[in-house]
Amino acid sequence: MEIKNIKSTNIPAFFDQMIKSGKVVIAPVLKKSGKVFFEAVQSYDQVSTDYIQTGFSAKSVVFPKVEELFSFKKDDEGIEITNNLHTIPETVVWGLRPCDASAFNYLTEFFLKENPDTYFTARKEKTTLIAISCAKADNACFCTSVELNPGSTSGSDILLTAMGESVYIELITEKGKAAVETAASLFTPGEEKSKEEFLAKVTSVFSMDEVKVRIKTAYDSAEWKHASMGCFGCGACAFACPTCTCFDIQDEGTQDSGKRLRCWDACGFGLFTKHTSGHNPRTNQTERRRQRLMHKFKYSVENLGIVSCVGCGRCIRNCPAHLNIFENILSVTK
Amino acid sequence: MEPKNQYIPYKMRIANIIEEAPLVQTYRLEFVDEKDAAQFSFKAGQFAEYGVFGEGESTFCIASSPTREGYLECTFRSSGRVTKALANCELNDIIGLRGPFGNTFPIEEWYGKNIVFITGGIGLPPLRCLIWNLLDQREKFGDITIYYGARTVNDLVYKEELEEWKNRSDVNLFLTVDPGGETPDWKGLVGFVPTILEQNPPKSENSVAIIAGPPILIKMGMPILGKNGFENNNIYTTLENRMKCGVGKCGHCTVGKTYVCKDGPVFTYDEVLNMPPEY
Repeated sequence: MEIKNIKSTNIPAFFDQMIKSGKVVIAPVLKKSGKVFFEAVQSYDQVSTDYIQTGFSAKSVVFPKVEELFSFKKDDEGIEITNNLHTIPETVVWGLRPCDASAFNYLTEFFLKENPDTYFTARKEKTTLIAISCAKADNACFCTSVELNPGSTSGSDILLTAMGESVYIELITEKGKAAVETAASLFTPGEEKSKEEFLAKVTSVFSMDEVKVRIKTAYDSAEWKHASMGCFGCGACAFACPTCTCFDIQDEGTQDSGKRLRCWDACGFGLFTKHTSGHNPRTNQTERRRQRLMHKFKYSVENLGIVSCVGCGRCIRNCPAHLNIFENILSVTK
Repeated sequence: MEPKNQYIPYKMRIANIIEEAPLVQTYRLEFVDEKDAAQFSFKAGQFAEYGVFGEGESTFCIASSPTREGYLECTFRSSGRVTKALANCELNDIIGLRGPFGNTFPIEEWYGKNIVFITGGIGLPPLRCLIWNLLDQREKFGDITIYYGARTVNDLVYKEELEEWKNRSDVNLFLTVDPGGETPDWKGLVGFVPTILEQNPPKSENSVAIIAGPPILIKMGMPILGKNGFENNNIYTTLENRMKCGVGKCGHCTVGKTYVCKDGPVFTYDEVLNMPPEY
């Protein structure tokens, strides 16, 4: 892997150079609420550097919360259908955490492996991920339990690790190498070294190997009831999650002109599986919570060979019922 | 060639409308663009997403047989936002269609065998495609037996075709309505489909059975067939969970790790037994 170094004081120049070169740069921004969210910025001055985790993940860059599939217009000639895929700009995501970057691996595998998704493909091709290792963690973080760590390079194009006055730069992909070329003079060549002392300590709460085996027979565990107690199906866990991919398709407008949208959905919603007849295959929050967790730790392993939880901790921080995914996984695989 | 954008629908013209039963209609659809018609093909068992622009999409099987070329038919009950909008469409209106999606019935494996169909209500449309597909090559199969019922006489769909099947010597039809659903001049059977099936069991030797309908019929019917000697891998069903995308992405139709839309909708009883009961 190619390694470079940059002085911490030169980071703003590198960042602003990417914006000058015409890229849309999405970065963490401190909002009035006191929370940090990703949004498009115009200069490094707007970027927050003091955050453990952003409120939402960066997945919306490749899988927007609401995305236009096409617009339509009826006239005497018939119906015209158009989409705006060609207008997607070159985009850089700055400052996502290694767990979120790793989630992009899963998203890519999920959306492209079978029946490749046109919209995801178009956005992913235009996206460069510049992740920053975690120097801090909180008690919702559990990346080390899902075989990642605060300095994982998985999924990133570039990983930055602050090491005192300088920043250690791992150029993981060709896209990553191309991104630093826009400001090549700011970087000096470097050598591979351990990042360990600059990374947050995240204690592992379970053994993934054991969980993978035990979850195979966890469907009938009596613990699911306890694991879902208090859940009122708000979907906050799914909306904050960097790997949740479920969506709804809805039309907006009139029958003469409008658009077809796909919008994030959540398997925790009561309507998610409900048939028109009223029959509902998953009738209560216990069954829905089980679906969500079994999907992350069992079904996605069976289908794609990937545990689709990256340990970012957002579902724990955001759950109004204080449900904790890793405690639930521990209890149902006891 | 770039892969096709799976969310852009074909434009279909409504070429015929048949009133089947209260709130149930069959639409015959023809491709607006001849190029689409030329490249479109499907097999029995597959489904599609039918859309009214501005209202959304709804999932139904393709109810016509692939042996009847030049058009597609779908049969639906008007009940939600999309199906109500669909029901309000008029002859020659343009609607959207995406598909075909899903797997197919392994018809070639059934050559020489007796075929048993068990279905109720608007579970017949998914099987009607298959029934005509087999009847259009009748000589390749043994006995063909159909068990079909609805809540009332009026709720039976494809009434003319039922009459035709009843009169054909190469089709055995057990036609029933739920108790209380009969009319004074009703000449068919009275009783729920599983009851009729138990009272008149099909022979299991060299036979395959296909069962479709509401989940309760599938859950009750499959064990009855098992008791009558059908092996689990000779019992087929088509599941119909809620769906949005049709291509294994939106997540609505999952049953455990299985996506009904892309891994199904056609499953054997063996496969169904290996799933959680979330259908």
